[in-house]
Amino acid sequence: MKITRPAINYDELVKDDRVHGRVYTDPLIFEQELDKIFSRGWVYIGHASEIPHPGDFRVTDIGLQSVIMVRDDAGKVQLLMNRCTHRANAVCQIERGNAAIFRCAYHGWTFRNNGDLASVTYQDRYDASFRKEDNGLRKVPRMAIYRGFVFASLSPIGITLDEHLGPLAKEQIDLFVDLSPEGELDVTAGVHKYGYQANWKFQVENSMDGYHGNFVHQSFFENVRRRSGVNLTDMMTSQSAAQTRDLGNGHVMIDFRPYNKLKGARMGAAMPTSESGQAYREALIAKHGPERAQELLTARGTHLLVFPNLVLIGVQIRVIKPIKADETEVFLYPTFLKGAPHELNVTRLRGHEAFYGPAGGGATDDLEMFERNQIGLSARVDPWLILSRGRQQERPDEDGATAGQITDEVTQRGIWRQWKKVMSQAGVENSTRLERRRIGVERRAPQ
Amino acid sequence: MAVDRHQVETFLYREARLMDEHAYDEWLALWADDALYWVPCNEDDFDPERHVSIVYENKARLEDRITRLKSGAAYAQDPKSRLSRVVSNVEIEGENDHELMIHSTFNLTALRRGRIDILAGRATHKLRRSGDSFKIAFKKVLLINNDQVIHNLTFLI
Repeated sequence: MKITRPAINYDELVKDDRVHGRVYTDPLIFEQELDKIFSRGWVYIGHASEIPHPGDFRVTDIGLQSVIMVRDDAGKVQLLMNRCTHRANAVCQIERGNAAIFRCAYHGWTFRNNGDLASVTYQDRYDASFRKEDNGLRKVPRMAIYRGFVFASLSPIGITLDEHLGPLAKEQIDLFVDLSPEGELDVTAGVHKYGYQANWKFQVENSMDGYHGNFVHQSFFENVRRRSGVNLTDMMTSQSAAQTRDLGNGHVMIDFRPYNKLKGARMGAAMPTSESGQAYREALIAKHGPERAQELLTARGTHLLVFPNLVLIGVQIRVIKPIKADETEVFLYPTFLKGAPHELNVTRLRGHEAFYGPAGGGATDDLEMFERNQIGLSARVDPWLILSRGRQQERPDEDGATAGQITDEVTQRGIWRQWKKVMSQAGVENSTRLERRRIGVERRAPQ
Repeated sequence: MAVDRHQVETFLYREARLMDEHAYDEWLALWADDALYWVPCNEDDFDPERHVSIVYENKARLEDRITRLKSGAAYAQDPKSRLSRVVSNVEIEGENDHELMIHSTFNLTALRRGRIDILAGRATHKLRRSGDSFKIAFKKVLLINNDQVIHNLTFLI
């Protein structure tokens, strides 16, 4: 049976210079986002270093679907749907651990950590057509890994991860990872989990908003100034050299490099001048050479959105999880740099905790803004939100990105352009029968 | 001096009231200069140099927290959460009251913008004798939901 729904014309909701409030509130749009953005495109789901040993697993999700990210006995990362193929019981109950097998408690079926169905209790009551090899845990149709970042797509067809990321986003991920003298992140430091009662895209946009910092975070910046004498506010004025950039495909960033070059490197997790800082600098040069090391230390990581749900800021991997149109969860994984001095990694961790997490002194005020946004959206005499800041001055830069000043909304416009493009594609309900079957929406007809 | 259970409990109840009332300066004054305040994240115990915490603060960081909360620009506490907590099940470890380890449970209801959050857990205080009262040298709060999504923990716990 075909379910028909009123079509949504996304051209009418997203303009070049404004966006309609309905995109944050409409449950139908939210449902289509889960389908078109989270079920068809590439989404970030975890980092390979979270599961270093065979059998290590972490339960994660793609949109609202529960997935087990597990390293199988052969050492390969597998993405298994957390659902017994028999009666749909979730086969894994804890968020992380190590398991050679996943045993469904309901009727005792067991699956190997590569998904294969190992045993079926009282199998003699199935007829000869029942084959264990047909009934392993279902795998996420596509998985790809870049620098340890594990991405998944529930669609068996579509562009590759390489095409999705493009060279500019990969370059930023490299800046984040190459701060490690071994060129690898260690994402085993746990996770801050917080939630807010507003739409997920507020966190996406805010993560790449260079305009709000001096207002929402003035209380935090004032503490930094009082303690260390460092004035972070001039980084985010309309005169700052820092930039907003649209890298394409919805990937956008705030680029602090022009500011850092002018000011000398002094923002973010401070470059220690101590003995361990010197050792770190030498290790970076040994690994990457002096030029690249200088480039890395100037950039100090990145400030990047990988559309739609991955953010790299400071030391953290941020994952944005849509729950409902007006409910969102955000998971923050502070990272360690493999091969860096312990003292430096501890400094990264303490710096992260000061600003982030449910009791942190910065991000909590962002969440408050999102909830105030959602309240404000109830007032609909004029339903539009303005996206025009700096629109006339934005320009292509030498790398092929679109760039503007840090307080400009280049980033927001880039996010919304991609959102409109993806949301305007035909949904599952309009796709062919073959494609519906391939992505698992439609069952094979009974034999 | 022998341990005075009544005095210990009175101290904990007072701390609870100061937190409920957002009496920031009076609460800060309860802490020793070399204090450590720890709210673990995800698990109840680990090496805090290798795993992230919800709060891991020395006195200077605590002062920053209080300065921010008092600044008028800590928006997650504007409006403030309305708080009511019960502290109970107090167990005292230690023979004399120069330095005591106190274990207690708490149950905290937080109301903000129509949303009610229940927070519960255990606390360990290391109390050090200071005149006729105590200073907090160390406090560790084990939230039962430290591995769950938490909405707003910008008040004092």
